[in-house]
Amino acid sequence: MKEIDINGSVIKCYPLSAAQRIHNYTIKYCPTQVLCIGTGLYIQQPVNFSILKECIYKAYEMYETMRLRFIKDEEENVYQYIVPFEEREIPLVDFSAWNEEDAHNEMRRWTAVPFERYNSPMNQVVMIKLPDGFNGVYLKVDHMTMDSSSIIGFNRAILEIYCSRCYGLDMPKPLKSYISQLEKDLAYEADSSARKRDEEFWTKEISSSEPMYTDFSGQGRLLTQRLENNNPDQRWAKVVSKSPEASISVYSLEEEASMRLMKFCELYNVPMASLLLMGLRTVLSKFNDNEKDVSVKTCVARRGTLSEKLSGGTRVHFFPLRTVMEPEMTFLEGVRMMQTEQSRIFRHANFDPVELTMKRAAYWKSQPGTSYESISLTYQPLTAKQYVRNVPDIPYKSYWYTNGVAGQPLYLTVMHRPEDNGLNFNFEYRKDAVTEQEMQYFYYYLCRVLFRGIENEMRTIGDILNMI
Amino acid sequence: MLEKIRELICNYVEVEPEEITENSRFMEDLNMNSYDFMCLLGDLEAEFDVTVDESEILEIHTIGEAIVYLENLKK
Repeated sequence: MKEIDINGSVIKCYPLSAAQRIHNYTIKYCPTQVLCIGTGLYIQQPVNFSILKECIYKAYEMYETMRLRFIKDEEENVYQYIVPFEEREIPLVDFSAWNEEDAHNEMRRWTAVPFERYNSPMNQVVMIKLPDGFNGVYLKVDHMTMDSSSIIGFNRAILEIYCSRCYGLDMPKPLKSYISQLEKDLAYEADSSARKRDEEFWTKEISSSEPMYTDFSGQGRLLTQRLENNNPDQRWAKVVSKSPEASISVYSLEEEASMRLMKFCELYNVPMASLLLMGLRTVLSKFNDNEKDVSVKTCVARRGTLSEKLSGGTRVHFFPLRTVMEPEMTFLEGVRMMQTEQSRIFRHANFDPVELTMKRAAYWKSQPGTSYESISLTYQPLTAKQYVRNVPDIPYKSYWYTNGVAGQPLYLTVMHRPEDNGLNFNFEYRKDAVTEQEMQYFYYYLCRVLFRGIENEMRTIGDILNMI
Repeated sequence: MLEKIRELICNYVEVEPEEITENSRFMEDLNMNSYDFMCLLGDLEAEFDVTVDESEILEIHTIGEAIVYLENLKK
């Protein structure tokens, strides 16, 4: 912690957490990167916008991370601090006479505009009127301040405060302090025994043996780079690009089919994320000459304790999840192996992922900007239904707006649809790395693997690879 | 041991300690997810000075099973 004079007041400023440093690192090495996330939450009923505005200010008061700002010291180190209150005007934009798709495109454009990074607010709230009587809130935040869990929490707080004011429902429960949780995180990083234990774990993982890069579009990328580097044994591949322009393709799995996946998880007591990871790694294996050694990046939300769940902020860490599966292994054994691997990672997920990446690169002497993983997976178990837990009868819709750029080639987020709980597969891909057709092809194979696996859990991986 | 486990669980989920019994299931009754559960194990290791095996603990579903497992580790 450091005390810094900001506009004549001495303010307590804190270093960045490991989860924030990942974003800071991205911006440092990819200046065109945009860290904004845009969301919209709209209810189909008349809204009193002057009351809504008061509710938004109240939500700002409750949520410390919505008042988070960054500052650089003389040595260019980035610190963070909380301002005591939000005083900006909250505008109302009326899209009710617009074509709805044009309105959403306009909000996508807003989302692509980055925030001023220092001594400036890192979010923006706009009250919105959409066609067909939908009214609500557009929220844009900088990912270095909030992740999807925090965003959902803030949107929910606005709605619950509004329903409390207008319909006498309960006010949302008080939140936990962001700064108190940050202090715990920083204490972990400051040479704690827990951090030492995690470092030992990851050091051992790294040195066990070198992983193998498996690309979502086949072996071409790795083979080409082996030739370029005159290294036939190269196992990593370059994945960064100077052209981060991205797009999103969303594929909706039908309600009944999604239910079959959920029932499988329930029956065998395995997490949905483990099943999805098993599907992903099997497709990567298929696309890479039935490679047995496959790694993907998995998202860990790191919200276990109530303090972690209710303090806002950004806490997501991504870690490599590597599995070596023999073709004789059954699909269910594979899912269980995934579950065990995830559990091992969970226990050491507070370790700084940037430090892990650097340690691994140094150990295996890989070039900068390279990786062993071509895909990242996030499974979001929170449905948008949880936005409106106290007001279930109001028709509503929620949106996530892309900012149009991506640092990694392919990022898959699987979420439940609010209307039927079916699964949506959101593929965010860098346009220079993947085509939409390749995405369709990948999704098609992913579904084939998953359903071949769950229709007979004793089917072997080798059989599934031959069948699809 | 039950009292201590109750106290630790209340750091993770909004539940009254007296509602937690040996028959309570971590996931279904206490609404813990697999991440919560693994973090709780870390707390239990520190509290009872034991080391758990990730592949074995996937078989643990209730508080009672956790108590038996931890007591065996302490022997």
